[in-house]
Amino acid sequence: MRRGLLLLLPAALLMGGCGGMDVMSVATVAAKGVPKAAQAARPISDSEEYYVGRAVGARILHQYPLSQDQQLTLYVNEVGLAVARKSARPETFRGYHCAVLESPEPNAFACPGGTIFVTRGLIAMCDNEDQLAAALAHEVAHVANKDGVNSISKARWTEVITTMGTEAAKQYGGAAGSLVTLFEGSIDDVFKTIVVNGYSRTAEETADRDAVTTLRKAGYDPQALGQLLGKMLAREKGAAGGIYKTHPPTSERLAKLKAEAGGAAPPKEEEARSQRFKSLKI
Amino acid sequence: MHQQTIQGGDVRPPASFIRRGGWLLVLAAALMLALAGGAWGETLKVSQANQSLYPEPDFASTPLAKVPVGAAVQVVSRKGDWYQVNYAGSTGWMHRQAFPAAAGPGRFGALPGLLFGQPVKETTSDEVAMAGKGFTPEVEASYRQKHPEANFAQMDKVEAFRVDDAQLQAFVKEGGLTP
Repeated sequence: MRRGLLLLLPAALLMGGCGGMDVMSVATVAAKGVPKAAQAARPISDSEEYYVGRAVGARILHQYPLSQDQQLTLYVNEVGLAVARKSARPETFRGYHCAVLESPEPNAFACPGGTIFVTRGLIAMCDNEDQLAAALAHEVAHVANKDGVNSISKARWTEVITTMGTEAAKQYGGAAGSLVTLFEGSIDDVFKTIVVNGYSRTAEETADRDAVTTLRKAGYDPQALGQLLGKMLAREKGAAGGIYKTHPPTSERLAKLKAEAGGAAPPKEEEARSQRFKSLKI
Repeated sequence: MHQQTIQGGDVRPPASFIRRGGWLLVLAAALMLALAGGAWGETLKVSQANQSLYPEPDFASTPLAKVPVGAAVQVVSRKGDWYQVNYAGSTGWMHRQAFPAAAGPGRFGALPGLLFGQPVKETTSDEVAMAGKGFTPEVEASYRQKHPEANFAQMDKVEAFRVDDAQLQAFVKEGGLTP
């Protein structure tokens, strides 16, 4: 009996000890050990970007109904992934996802972290798969360049960093409210940029340039973005909202795009892609 | 084969069992229990607000139910930072943040992960990283409470849509795109 008890003693000690160090005490020590200056210098992490993107997406989906057309959703995802894997940022925290919004108004939104929405109206505006790929490659470039999260005001992000110092020293309650408020503000910043006001001209032109590179790498026609932009310009008269606000087509943008993609021979099998595009019920 | 039985709570290991190296099994079993936080069959009380029961060990999955402070849940299993629990007739997953008083991940570093699976996704497995993260699943959970109009259910649906690699490769090949 005594021998048996001796055998079980280490086991009991181990079991009793498994409470170990308190979880938050580890966090507290960690927070105290990190100088604030070092923390303040850090950019938004991939997972933080993802949670901002999710909330922005959820807000967009409050305004626009999500298409339930599985065939169209699959097709848009396939085209989107075909370009994303050839972009400057082929992977994100939880991957790229594309979805169709049921709206006749042509528009597209890139949520931070990799969720991309295109409206049925934008797909209808495209003549072929290459033009849809061009629109998606442009949105992927906004994700890759972090144009969404970069629209969070610097003052707000600095406050997030400062708050985190105190946050880590407390359990999940207490000052958490202030982080939630800052999160709300960040969602507002991003939402206003990608849905209401649009990106800066510089961000748009960089995304155009990157999209042309991506299209070329993916095997799509690099001139397709210029073609789509040309169509938008032609239809611009009388159209004030939607994509004309979020991605304003200008003749200057078009000229730069033509210079960027000019001279390239159309890639092979364009016809095969156009055929599968035409088979869609848009 | 000589069979051994344990009756009436008598936990004395028979001598033949010990001679055959069975004590190693006893120690291994005890070690496994210790590393897992000794949680199985345990009843835990939710002590943090805004907690939910999830169908998968993932904050991105759509919650099955809200679990109020004070609710008692029965632990079925554990995977990384998540507990599989029974609550109000449903089985689902709750993050360990719901039970701050419960054991942490154990004091043996990566061993629990080796034995019971790695922590689910990157998000909250590392407490140090948790301390350094501003926008976490917990912040999202609070945001969702304040903004019920935000359509996270549809967002979950968007993220759940998958195109597998083979499907994408076939699409690329058919379209004459660059592999």
